Amino acid sequence: MQPNRFKRQTLALFFIVSLIPALVVASIWYLNMQADDQVHILVDFQAFVLPVFLLGIVPAMVLSLVFAELLARPVRRIHNAALELAHGHFNTHFKEQGAGEFKDIGEALDQVASRLEQTLSAAASETALIEAERNKLRGVLSAMTDGVFALDKDGRIILFNRAASELTGRSIESVAGQLAEKVMPFRLNGELVMTRWLATQQGTDRIGRWRSLELYREDGASLFVDVEAVALSNDPNGIRALVTFHDLTARQQLEQMKVDFVALAAHELRTPLTEIKGYLDILQHESKGLTKSNREFLARSMSSATRLTGLVNNLLGVARIEHGELNYQPEPVDYLAFAEDIIDELKPGLKQQQVAFEAKLPVELPQLMADPIGLREVIVNLVDNAAAHVAPKVGQVTLTIRRHRDDIETSITDNGTGIPASALPHLFTKFYRVDEMKSSTRGTGLGLYICRSIIEAHGGRIWAESKEGEGSSFTFRIPLRQVAPTSKSDNNTTITRGAHGWIKEHSLH
Amino acid sequence: MAGSKNILFIEDDRLISEMYARLLRADGYNIDFAYNGAEGLQKTKNKHYDLILLDIMMPQLTGIEVLHELRGEDGHGNPDTKIIILTNLAQDKTSREALKSQADGYIIKADIVPSQLASIIGKLL
Repeated sequence: MQPNRFKRQTLALFFIVSLIPALVVASIWYLNMQADDQVHILVDFQAFVLPVFLLGIVPAMVLSLVFAELLARPVRRIHNAALELAHGHFNTHFKEQGAGEFKDIGEALDQVASRLEQTLSAAASETALIEAERNKLRGVLSAMTDGVFALDKDGRIILFNRAASELTGRSIESVAGQLAEKVMPFRLNGELVMTRWLATQQGTDRIGRWRSLELYREDGASLFVDVEAVALSNDPNGIRALVTFHDLTARQQLEQMKVDFVALAAHELRTPLTEIKGYLDILQHESKGLTKSNREFLARSMSSATRLTGLVNNLLGVARIEHGELNYQPEPVDYLAFAEDIIDELKPGLKQQQVAFEAKLPVELPQLMADPIGLREVIVNLVDNAAAHVAPKVGQVTLTIRRHRDDIETSITDNGTGIPASALPHLFTKFYRVDEMKSSTRGTGLGLYICRSIIEAHGGRIWAESKEGEGSSFTFRIPLRQVAPTSKSDNNTTITRGAHGWIKEHSLH
Repeated sequence: MAGSKNILFIEDDRLISEMYARLLRADGYNIDFAYNGAEGLQKTKNKHYDLILLDIMMPQLTGIEVLHELRGEDGHGNPDTKIIILTNLAQDKTSREALKSQADGYIIKADIVPSQLASIIGKLL
C-alpha cells in the first residue's frame, strides 16, 4: 500500500469518526431551535455544547493528522527500503526503519532480505563458476590443434572447434546443424567409414579409430587425417558422438621426403658399388694371365662387394617398411618354377663358397598368390644366411618346399653353428644380432626383420628352429589362396635380380 | 646373330656405360652412346636400335621422360625397340612408373654385374 494513500485513508477515518459527535451536536442544536423554550431540560446549547464540541473536534482533527503521519512514516520508510531491495541493495535495514509492530515487520523483512541476498549471491557465484568452466572448455577446444566436433542423435554438428574450422576451411556457423556426412565426410577408399560405423553403434559407448582417412576441404583440396570417434549412448547434453581428427598432411610430406632421401642416398651408395662389382666381374672374365691366388682375391673382393650391396638394399628395405612403402603386390606365381629360377641363380655363389646345396621340391604345386619380388628377397636372404653360418667344404644347405594342408611351406636348413635357444625368439626383431661381439658374420640385423615383414604381408608366418652345434632351420608358410582364373593373362612380369628389378616375360625369348 | 643387333646406352656416366659395353662388344653387339636424354632421343630418330638401356637420373631429361617420349601416346619410338631401364634408383614409384610406361624391364645396376647383363640381353635379343 502506498504510504500517502494510507495517510489519506487514516485522515478520512478520523474525519468520519469526529463527524459523528458533530452530527449529534448539530441535531441537538436543531431540536433546541425547534422546541424553543419548550425543552429546557436540555443543556444550554450555545453556552455549553457548542464550545465543548468545537474544543473537542479541532484537537481531534489535529491529533488525527499527527497520528496519521506517525503511522505513515514507518510504512513509507519500509516501502522505500523495499524499493531499495528491489534495486539490489541488500544492506538496507528494515528493523531500524520501523517502530512498534512495524519493528517486527522490519525484522522479518530484514531476514527475507538477508536470505534473498545469500541465495542470490550463491546463484551468482554458481553462474560465474559455470561461465568460467564454459570459457575454460571453450579455450581448451579452441586451443587444440586437433579438430574436434560433436554430433547429435541425427548426426548433425552441434559443436565444432577452431582447429576443425581451420583444417577444413569451413566456418563454425556454416557447419552448425549440418549433417556430418555432408560437411565432414571422412573417406577410406571412397567409403564413409566413420558415419557408417556410428550408425551401427546405437546404444553403445564405443571408440572407433581410423588411420589416413581422406577429407575434402571447403576449397576442394584433400586432407589426410587420423580420426577417433567416441559413440555415446546416454549423454545428458544430447551428444551422440564426439569426433577428433588429426592432420597428417605435414607428417606424410615429411615421410615422403624421408623415403625419397633414403632412396637417393642408397642410389649414391650403389653407384660406386656398381663400378667395383662391374670391374671385378670384367677382371674375372679376363683372368687368363692371373695366378690361382689372384683369382681367389678377385672372388673374395666380389663376394664382399656383393654383401655390401645386400646391406645397402637391406637399409633401404627397412626404410621402405618403416614408411609403409613396402608394397605387397600379389600376383599368381608358379612357385616351383619361381623357386627353380632362384636356385639356379644362387648355385654358382654357393659353389664358390664351397657349400653343398640340395633342393627338395615336390613334383607339382598349385599356383599361389604372392608378391614375387618380396618372396625372392626372403629366399635369397635365408639361403645367404645359412651359407654364412656353415663351415666351408663340410657345409650343407637344403631348401625344401612342400605342401602343408592349405599352406606352402618352405624350409632352409643348414648344418652350421646353430643359434642359442635364448636368441631364437628375438631373431626376427629389427637390429637384433646373435652375440654381437663373438659373431664372425657381419650384417645389419635387418635381413630377418625384412623377411618377417614380407611373409606377414602374405598372411603367413616365419620361424626358426635350431640346435647349437648341429644347425638351424628357417621355415615360412604362406597360405594358398584361390587364384582367379582370369588374372593369369595379366601376368607378364617376372623377376630377374634384385629387390626392384624386373623383366617382362613376353620380352624374353 | 648378335652381330647385327644395335644397342644404345642413354647414360650420363661414360665410365659405367663403357664398362658394360666392353663385354657386350665382345659378344658382337654394335654399341652407341648418348650422354643425356635429348641426345639419346635424337639418336633414336636417325638409327634403328634393337635395345635401349636407359638411365633414370640424368641432367635435363630424366630417363622416365625419355621413356614417355618413346612410348607415350604420340611417342615416336619404334615399337620393335626394347627399352630396359638400367639405374641405381630403387624407388617403388619409379619402378612402377616405368612398368606403366611400357618399359620392358627395370634393372638395378648394383644388383648385377656386366656378365649378368650380357646374359639377360642375350635372352632378350
